[in-house]
Amino acid sequence: MRSSLARHPAGRSRGDTLLARLRGDAGSRPAVDPGLAGGLRDWLEDELSEAVAGLPDGTGPVRVTKDALDQVLVCEAHFLSERRQPRQVTTEMARGTLVDLLFRQWVTTGAMGDAWEDAVCALRVGRDDGVLGFVEQLAPDARARLAAEVEEHAARIAECWPILAPSWMARTQERLDVPLAGGRIRLAGVVDLAIGAPSAGQASVCIVEVKSGRRRLEHRGDVHLYALLETLRSGAPPFRVATFYTADGEIDVEPVGRDVLLGALHRVVAGTTKLCRMAAGAEPDRTPNPLCGWCPGLADCVPGRRQVEDSTHTGPVTRP
Amino acid sequence: MMVRLPRATAVTEELLAAGPAVGAEALSQVRDRLVAAVSPVVADLPAGERLVLDGFRFSTALRHPERCVEGSTPFVPSPATCRRAVGLAAVDRCLRRRGTSPAEAVAEVLRCGAEDAAGAERDAAPRPPWWARWYGGLPAGARAAVAAEATTWATQLWTALDWEALPRPVVVGARDDWWEPPRSRLTVRTRAEVRVRTSDGQALVVVKSGVPDGTSRSELAFVALGASLCSGAAGAPARVVGLWPAAGAVRVVAVSARVLHGAADEVVSASATWVDAHLERADGRSRPEQALSSTGT
Repeated sequence: MRSSLARHPAGRSRGDTLLARLRGDAGSRPAVDPGLAGGLRDWLEDELSEAVAGLPDGTGPVRVTKDALDQVLVCEAHFLSERRQPRQVTTEMARGTLVDLLFRQWVTTGAMGDAWEDAVCALRVGRDDGVLGFVEQLAPDARARLAAEVEEHAARIAECWPILAPSWMARTQERLDVPLAGGRIRLAGVVDLAIGAPSAGQASVCIVEVKSGRRRLEHRGDVHLYALLETLRSGAPPFRVATFYTADGEIDVEPVGRDVLLGALHRVVAGTTKLCRMAAGAEPDRTPNPLCGWCPGLADCVPGRRQVEDSTHTGPVTRP
Repeated sequence: MMVRLPRATAVTEELLAAGPAVGAEALSQVRDRLVAAVSPVVADLPAGERLVLDGFRFSTALRHPERCVEGSTPFVPSPATCRRAVGLAAVDRCLRRRGTSPAEAVAEVLRCGAEDAAGAERDAAPRPPWWARWYGGLPAGARAAVAAEATTWATQLWTALDWEALPRPVVVGARDDWWEPPRSRLTVRTRAEVRVRTSDGQALVVVKSGVPDGTSRSELAFVALGASLCSGAAGAPARVVGLWPAAGAVRVVAVSARVLHGAADEVVSASATWVDAHLERADGRSRPEQALSSTGT
């Protein structure tokens, strides 16, 4: 039995620093422009009207998630290949799910016991997306390795995160599901943590995404997407977005200005247009890129294989 | 601690706005017409059986009639299935004790529920909420998941309305409305998360998951019908406001006699779908198209 995790004095200063970065200076938070959300929604619907018009009648809504955007913007053929793959739980996915549960527990209760046991117990009463079965079928040594990893991530959470005051109104795993074009498009996401009391006058919510893996370029796009969704959903933009890395305890914090929201909007328009094309049955564009070597559709993709062959001459690529 | 989303003021104004009044006579006509239409439909049920048409069954019959033929799965308590019950109790505490946040209120509700469940095992009183015994037996990690889910749900409701602007009394999480027509084997069961008194009688708030769609207005009208049929002297609610927190969407149904008649027609149709499905399962025959088309769904 491992020892319980509780916030200790050494963690206080680190936690307070993190909180200060998330909270920022209350006086500098932007005022909510009451027309902003409606304007962004109109803009999105105008830009996507042509793509939506191309959807065949009777097709279900096109779901736009962070993963779908990441994949389709890299390569349409890659997106389709990933989607056709049966979902397979990996050790990294299991770790991510377990760490998310522990983060949620810490934020909600301010305490963790045996990290592995707590996370698996939470998994047992939650939605079953295959992770529980994966974890339970692990060989004892693989399970012990994963448990040790999870324990390290949990320790980092307890070390870095202070117990949030109730007035921060922490919401965990909050679903965002914004319909556009009469519901034919749905922008969807699940925010790991939203803090800050919603306010009519001043942007006051901070959105935090938790990552148990290594830093990747797409992570900024993910939180920018959530900033846009939160704006469309609630009528007020968050004032900050952040990505917390449980592997090293680092946190990237960014203010949300119009540039962030517009950047996210353009990315959503570009990606959703492609997703609508795919939903309409169009032949996918193939865009050779450094990730072709990891694409499940590589065997059937001539430009992709050429890309991989070329890259073997120029040296190996490390997946970011 | 009164905090609210930017749209909360507008939503609250919509909730309290005047609605088309439904007089006692009009309501009586809705009731009589519904009884006359639905009684023969549920009379086809095997002896001793009863159809309880709740929000879930009503929606299933309208959206996915083919699923009515599938057997129901047993209810399993989970953080998702008990978040509403815990969250409503928490919002009620927030309303009665100024300065209490949803997170604190949820923690209190869960603690009291677990204590009541333990006490009930010892001396059979007081009666704990339905989720309490299950919750009391959970390990710490699972309890945290319950608290987290309920806190998020309660915070969404707590920030969706301008509670200070609501005239008292405000009832959060009242008992469901159960209506049983005389000499009929149907029970209509509806529920609303919040009930407020207005100058026109009462108004209801309903919290939904996902996003609203073409059936959502029918679902809100169904809630209005259930409340109306059970209302007695209070009469029909003036308005039903539906909130979809994930989508930030709001739909308002101003309750008129026409709305109630429409909802009553859909109750008859949904009842027929369920009765047909029940008979089909009992027969063990596969005739889904026949059965469903005969109900007009």
